[in-house]
Amino acid sequence: MRCKVTLAALAATILVGFLLGMVRPAWALPTFARKYGFDCTMCHSSFPRLNDFGQRYRMNGYQLPGREAEDKDVLHSPAPFAMRTSAGISYNTDNNPSNPASDLKRFQVNSLDLLSGGILGRNISYLVVYTPPMAASRSTAGQQASVEMANVVFSNLLCSTWLNLRAGRFEPACIPFSVARRLTISPYEVYNFGSPLGAPVNEPLEGVEVYGYGRQGWNWAAGAVNGTAYTTKVSADFYGRVSKVLGAGWGQTAGQRIGVTAYSGKVPDSTGTLQNFFRFGADASFNAAWINLSIQYILGMDRRELWPSGSTEKYVMHSGGFAQLNLMPIDKLAGFARLDLVKPQKPADLDRDQITRYTAGIRYYFVYQLALHLEYSHRIEKQLTGPDAKEDFGAVRLDFAF
Amino acid sequence: MKRAFLVIIMLGVVLCLPRSPSPQAQEGYLANTPLPTVPIPPDNPQTDAKILLGKQLYFETRLSADNTISCATCHAPSTAWANHGKTDTGIRGQVGGRNSGTIIDAAYMRYQFWDGRAGSLEEQALGPIHNPIEMGETLENVVKKLNDIPGYHSQFQQVFGTDANTDGIAKAIAAFERTIVTGPSPFDRYKMGEKSALNAAAVRGMDLFNGKAHCSSCHSGPAFSDQGFHNLGVGYKDGKYSDVGRYAVTKNSKDMGSFKTPGLRNAAETWPYLHDGSEKTLMDVINLYDRGGVQNPNLDPMMLPLHLTANEKQDLEAFLNALTGPVPAINPPKLPE
Repeated sequence: MRCKVTLAALAATILVGFLLGMVRPAWALPTFARKYGFDCTMCHSSFPRLNDFGQRYRMNGYQLPGREAEDKDVLHSPAPFAMRTSAGISYNTDNNPSNPASDLKRFQVNSLDLLSGGILGRNISYLVVYTPPMAASRSTAGQQASVEMANVVFSNLLCSTWLNLRAGRFEPACIPFSVARRLTISPYEVYNFGSPLGAPVNEPLEGVEVYGYGRQGWNWAAGAVNGTAYTTKVSADFYGRVSKVLGAGWGQTAGQRIGVTAYSGKVPDSTGTLQNFFRFGADASFNAAWINLSIQYILGMDRRELWPSGSTEKYVMHSGGFAQLNLMPIDKLAGFARLDLVKPQKPADLDRDQITRYTAGIRYYFVYQLALHLEYSHRIEKQLTGPDAKEDFGAVRLDFAF
Repeated sequence: MKRAFLVIIMLGVVLCLPRSPSPQAQEGYLANTPLPTVPIPPDNPQTDAKILLGKQLYFETRLSADNTISCATCHAPSTAWANHGKTDTGIRGQVGGRNSGTIIDAAYMRYQFWDGRAGSLEEQALGPIHNPIEMGETLENVVKKLNDIPGYHSQFQQVFGTDANTDGIAKAIAAFERTIVTGPSPFDRYKMGEKSALNAAAVRGMDLFNGKAHCSSCHSGPAFSDQGFHNLGVGYKDGKYSDVGRYAVTKNSKDMGSFKTPGLRNAAETWPYLHDGSEKTLMDVINLYDRGGVQNPNLDPMMLPLHLTANEKQDLEAFLNALTGPVPAINPPKLPE
């Protein structure tokens, strides 16, 4: 016990010392911004969402486009570490009597991510996001230790932006709207939707992705990844994506982006036999001044063996998506509103019915790396029999990174 | 839990490690900081006599073919060592194709001229003399003219121990130009701790400059220039570039339509702007960037629409105005007979 207290005191002292040291404005910036002396808004329209410059920078392997030869590597830059965490009041009520434990109303520390990224050599860079273990307690939302991302990017292969390679664990390009950098706490339902036997395509995957882009607005990506099911059997999933930006920009905060995605995966059924599932997506990101409208549609086709149903069809189908409005009227304020909808073609085939979620909120940035996040979300899942399962979620949090 | 604390401790220790980097390193290596001392090439040390000779040569119209144009004609002290005309007018009323950039802080630039064809001030100094549109004189004639003027002949003997020659002319003019540097601007004073040196609008503009407006990705470092070349699409029309820019030097197609990133110190006084003088005011330039430049096949990848509000543009302009520092007052010297 005494050891724990000493350890806590030591950690607190160092942390406070470090925070006090951060009063120098130039140091109060996460890793990439600190390296160059930029503000966060160089790459983020509203942290953590990337703007076009940030997206271009990310695609170029965390190198300033056109300045790869002079960009400093990680050994010649300030310590390449950053932290992100979030603390505040959350409440969650769920009228589903089968899941009463999800009711919650308390002040919590919700997450802690440790990030490191930088350039290892010209056109070779890395990113690591580590989540340390936090035991669930009265005031802490628990999280397991995990390496959320750890990847190396080889950029501008063949001296062209048309060929780049990302290897390791990364957020795949088949997720057109980043889950890791979304504004909302509430998840994208359509990315979360998957068979009970296989994890959905909503999180970083391990494997290799090649991608490219040109100045005419075309982007492409193809990947081979471990897949969404953890199995001892060797089973690679494959995906591909093509998108086009019309007008100047990258479709994040400027330009109009449209894209299509296809994903082919395998998941073991209850007997251990690998079964196919497919996702076909179309997406668009429209921008006008400080308004962004993001639209995602995904059609899912899963082998019937992956769902506990008595379907006679070879594949069971479901579809859904979301429409999200992002508003950035001024640097310090961002607003968002989203409608999520996922619907099985034949609910009886999946033993699930339509999911609808309404989400809205605002983020106010006291300074660029500290946001007050207010969010409300209402989720309705129709039941095959009986009343709908409804869930309310609300949060008032401080989201900060340094 | 223990492991979480350990991680925090390790991270804290790493980030708190004592270090004594340069101000730039502390703020990130592309950060805008006060100017360091002027770099002096080892083979051309500054001396008072050389600077005086250079000053005379800078104002000397006899360096031109018809004795009407001097360096100061297009880079006049009264117009912030630049020219407020869109482009230059040389001998016999000939009009050039590019705007006269200021020589203020040119000493800090790695390349000279909009296309960077000169790698030093010494190399640059001779360029306009034998440019047929500007001063239109041969270097041989210039050397002969100067040696025929006793005042110059004796000064060259005193400074270089030789008769006037092209090397001496270049070195003397470059030495003088290295004295035309800005003193502390409100921005510099702010950076050095005088927080009242910038008003609120300029501080907001500084944040925009380093953030949303993306200026400092190219206008970086003490001189507010990355010393590089970028294509903004200026002059591109109907599928053609009115000026190939850096491509004329490198013959690399990637450089087509690219021009040197100018420094921004005292930019408020050096209108009009860009290589062709096509933008009259700082606000016009801000609007050009806000649009994401002019679309063309070689547009710089960092040129993206900014969506700045009217207030943000004004803040940015306020910050650019705050980059204006005092420049040495120079009166035209008495020229040797």
